[in-house]
Parts: sequence; structure tokens; C-alpha cells
Amino acid sequence: MNDTISKEIILKKEIESVWNAITKQEELSTWFIKADFKAEEGYNYKFTSLNGDCDDVIRGVVKKATPYTLVYTWIIEGFENVETLVEWNLESISEGTRLTVKHSGISKYQGENAAKMFENFSGGWDNCVLELSKYL
Amino acid sequence: MEDTFSKTLKALSDPSRRKIFHALIIVASSLPINQIVSQFDISRQGVTKHLKVLESAGLIEISTNGRERYCKANAKPLEELNNWLSFYEKFWDDSLDNLSSYLDNKEKNT
Repeated sequence: MNDTISKEIILKKEIESVWNAITKQEELSTWFIKADFKAEEGYNYKFTSLNGDCDDVIRGVVKKATPYTLVYTWIIEGFENVETLVEWNLESISEGTRLTVKHSGISKYQGENAAKMFENFSGGWDNCVLELSKYL
Repeated sequence: MEDTFSKTLKALSDPSRRKIFHALIIVASSLPINQIVSQFDISRQGVTKHLKVLESAGLIEISTNGRERYCKANAKPLEELNNWLSFYEKFWDDSLDNLSSYLDNKEKNT
């Protein structure tokens, strides 16, 4: 099952300036999400996304923050039992900087599982009649 | 206030509730609560509790007919669950776009 989202882009920038953009609170708050953040191992960060009328709050702990790898847990308020992981990696290349971001553990939300599980039954009910006998 | 999406996820996070819901989906019609109770190794109270959670998530509808209460599954909220992965797909795509233009602008302004 697809449990990790992985994205990669090449930025025509110095690695240091990309690193600052993903680790400095003021910069994160400009392009990413309103942030209370420090790139220090063990720091409990808080992200607030202004999503229409309601604020989505994301919290987590910085697991690793050594140039040029940044890893933190990603826990959505209201889903405290579900911990996913976000991992940033920067690599200096001739064109500039290669950035990859990986978000793993998404299946823990059980969303995809549940949806897949029931998808089979949304098409037609014919097959389901066979299944019925198992339950009744 | 919890949104519908969170409620759906929470309701389906429990294996017993998934089983109950699954059974109702397969039957595709209303079932008396008594009959549901007899299918599972859970107390009537337990089943009722699970049914309430499912109902509040909009995954089942409970109706009363005479003395008997009936449950019927509603798969509609599941459609949104499919979007969980695509939500993050889009979220990271958009974020990286933002980062890219942010860095471009920053360069221009310094």
C-alpha cells in the first residue's frame, strides 16, 4: 500500500538559502504555514494553518536537524494517536539544490484502508448477496 | 467542533465498528438492532455504543419502527476518506510551489 508521499524538486538556489527557508520560523511562516519552530532536536513545534474559518493545528517533535536533513513528527490536533513523519533532505548539485520531502505513515489514518475495504461494495450489490450468508 | 472527516476516521478506527459497518454495508438494507447484536460477540450495550458513534459520523442511520430499531449503512462519508492521500499529495505539491516562488522573490528583493 502506498504509505509515503515523496516529492522532489530542483531549486536553482544555494543549499544554505533553501535550508534557511525550511528551518527558520520567520521564513516558514512566509511560504509554508504559521510556525512556532526551531530546528533543534527535541523541539516541540507548532504549526497553524489558517484554513477558512477553522485553524488546523499540527504539532510534533524535531527528530533531526543537521544540515541538510530535517526530520519531524507530524501530529494533527484531534488525531493525537496518529503520528506521521516528515523528512526533508537537501543535496547540493550543479544546478543548485535538490530538495526531497517525504511524508510517511499516512496509512495510519486508516482512511485509505477503510475506503479500499468498502470500495468493492460500492459498485454493485450482486457480489454482496453472496457475502451476506456469511454474516446472517 | 469536529469536522465530518475526523468523525468518519475516528468511527472507523475501531475494529468492532468496522465489522458492524461492514455487515450493514453488505446487507444493503435495514437491520433490526437485535439481529446485529446476535451477530457479534459484544454485549448489547457495546453494540449500541458503537452504533451511536457510527451514527454520529453519518455512517449509519437509525430509525424506529414500532418497538424495533433499525440500522442502515450509509457509505457516503467514505468518499471523503479517499481524499486523505490526495489531500497530502496536493498539500506538498502546493507547498513546494510556494517555496520555489518564495525563494525567487527573496532573491529579487535582496
